[in-house]
Amino acid sequence: MSPRTFGAGGVSAINVGRRTLLKGMLGAGALAGLSACGGGDGGGGGGEVTLGSNWSDEVPKKAIADMVKGFSGGGVKVNTIDHNSFQENINNYLQGGPDDVFGWFAGYRMQFFAEQGLIGDISDVWSDIGGGFSDAMKQQSTGADGKQYFVPLYYYPWAIFYRKSLWQEKGYTPPTTMDDLVALSTKMKTDGLNPIAFGDSDGWPAMGTFDYLNLRINGYDFHKELMAGEKPWNSNEVKAVFDAWREILPFHQPDALGRTWQEAAQSLLNKESGMYTIGMFAGQQFPEGPDRDDLDFFTFPEIDPAIGADVVEAPIDGFMMAARPRNEDGAKELLSYLGTAKAEDAYLKSDPNNIGAHDDADKTGYNALQQKGEQLVSGAKSISQFLDRDTRPDFASTVMIPSLQEFIRNPNDVDGLTKSIEDQKKSIFGG
Amino acid sequence: MTAAVQETPVRTPVRRPQRRRPARVVLTVFLTVMAVGWVFPVAWAFYNSLRDYDFTSTHGYFSFGGFTLDNYVDAWTRGNFGQTFYNSMVITVPSVVITLLLASSAAYVLARYTFKFNLALLALFTAANLLPQQALLVPLFRMFLNIEVPFWFSDSGSLYDTYYAVIAVNIAFQTGFCTFVLSNYMKTIPKEMTEAALVDGAGVFRQFWQVVLPLCRPALAALATLQITWVYNDFFWAVAFMRTGDKFPVTSSLQNLRGQFFTDYNLLSAGSVIVAIPTLVIFFLLQRHLRAGLTLGATKG
Repeated sequence: MSPRTFGAGGVSAINVGRRTLLKGMLGAGALAGLSACGGGDGGGGGGEVTLGSNWSDEVPKKAIADMVKGFSGGGVKVNTIDHNSFQENINNYLQGGPDDVFGWFAGYRMQFFAEQGLIGDISDVWSDIGGGFSDAMKQQSTGADGKQYFVPLYYYPWAIFYRKSLWQEKGYTPPTTMDDLVALSTKMKTDGLNPIAFGDSDGWPAMGTFDYLNLRINGYDFHKELMAGEKPWNSNEVKAVFDAWREILPFHQPDALGRTWQEAAQSLLNKESGMYTIGMFAGQQFPEGPDRDDLDFFTFPEIDPAIGADVVEAPIDGFMMAARPRNEDGAKELLSYLGTAKAEDAYLKSDPNNIGAHDDADKTGYNALQQKGEQLVSGAKSISQFLDRDTRPDFASTVMIPSLQEFIRNPNDVDGLTKSIEDQKKSIFGG
Repeated sequence: MTAAVQETPVRTPVRRPQRRRPARVVLTVFLTVMAVGWVFPVAWAFYNSLRDYDFTSTHGYFSFGGFTLDNYVDAWTRGNFGQTFYNSMVITVPSVVITLLLASSAAYVLARYTFKFNLALLALFTAANLLPQQALLVPLFRMFLNIEVPFWFSDSGSLYDTYYAVIAVNIAFQTGFCTFVLSNYMKTIPKEMTEAALVDGAGVFRQFWQVVLPLCRPALAALATLQITWVYNDFFWAVAFMRTGDKFPVTSSLQNLRGQFFTDYNLLSAGSVIVAIPTLVIFFLLQRHLRAGLTLGATKG
């Protein structure tokens, strides 16, 4: 390199090179961003409605697409976000300008956001579609202020599932009381079976068992008040629930904290376990065909005859509207459509793992399990959601999941456990 | 450079019939166990990604059979990998390029020039690494939401739900670490080299571009590998700052393969293998540099 080339010309050449490089990079980044932005809908003109969908699983995703196809009121743009991310980021989503209509859960989970003014009042839509839903459905769609915020789509009951063929072979019959359940479990143990399948590594499956015991021992009203933070957790009522659970815990699969619900359901499939308290989605773990058809369920048995067994835990999924939708008329029109039997039929045709929430939803296409589930829920006095849907989400995930897991690990310190839950509840619910 | 010289000279292998020394046997056994321990989970996932879920759910995972390639086909379509790979690229490439550019510029000044706040600045860059990212989520979210931009720039009318937000945050969080590593590396380059360039009339920019940066190639390659992997694997920021499913990066595809309740783990394994491929490609392309870069900062400059 001769010293000559180190002149001013050389430096400027380098400078140009650097600037070009910089510009090129910035340009590339900007272009990439722009092209992606250009892919958007461009402001939502022309009567298009956006639908935020957390139905990201293959089957429901297609069912939503089929359902939307039947809407005649204009274009619908579906924005599918994977279920778990959507749920974890719901706060950001709602504050960051959500889609006009989006999927969510009924009950407290909806009321929580309604109170904060993050979702839109759709009482006028309900005056159109309300005739098609039972009172229990309407109750679950109504906020604390008496207005409606939610259009139910379907529900899936929780119950105790078992394999018909295994029970026939061994001569078991579904228990109707707790004593029957204990007797049956004892018998299963002597038959070399593990009576009740159980897996709680994800934290939420145990909530189903807790809910049912609570509903059977203390009833629906107590459940609602307890979940809303109005009743203390260290009361004798709650302790009775944990005591009852401790009685039947030896019949559950041991080491449940290291097992997912799917592995627990697998032990049911392989006839190693006798029964399993789980939601209707358990069928997905069973291969389609004879194995899945072999699945049956009975409702959680009665504990206190005064309370009975006519409350069913059946989480409801459906739709809500943004607090300030870009296209309010379109959004309400879409919601009116989503609340019809026709829309639900289109959905359920593609996704038979659920039961339509609408009274007139076509039941002729239901499989045996769906029909049984429909009967169970329509005969129910009340429908509860699920522990994590009937209470504040932060309470459910940060307090109840670890607490229930702690109980499974060490079921003997109920006093300490319920006291700790109550202390944490107070700080979360603000006293 | 200096590190390479200081390495202990490799002993020339002496060919002679080997007697099995007990220490050597122990070492071999130990290494074998460790290698199997590392490889086994990956191989196991790969093995099961080739099997049918219904088969493994009835026969258990400790079985043989049910082989199929359907998991890969299904994973590709259900995870929408074509779209998400593209999205990941749109996020990763600008993030890494700009991070390295900013970090190397800052590192050059911090390593070569002595001024009052030199050390304090370097300490700041390092300290920022210790900040938990989650703690900044809410302020950042609010900030992006409140920065209004024209609609031609972003269809949300703000920086929320754009790639700019995700890229900017990635750059901001990675620059500190890169600056720290690069400035340490630049300190190992003999001062005489830049002094010689200075004597020859090269300005600051020229010293930086033509002398220091080329010498930093191993460090830059190592950092590029790390950064690409980190930004590529990021899911937190993308989900926090975007709400349109079609804009999500490849990590969301894996989330997509996890169902609401039911997860087909064989399908998920297949998806994981697909997601791992680009990282592996980058690693093998740059691995020579990466190994050279691993020792950086190992000797005091």
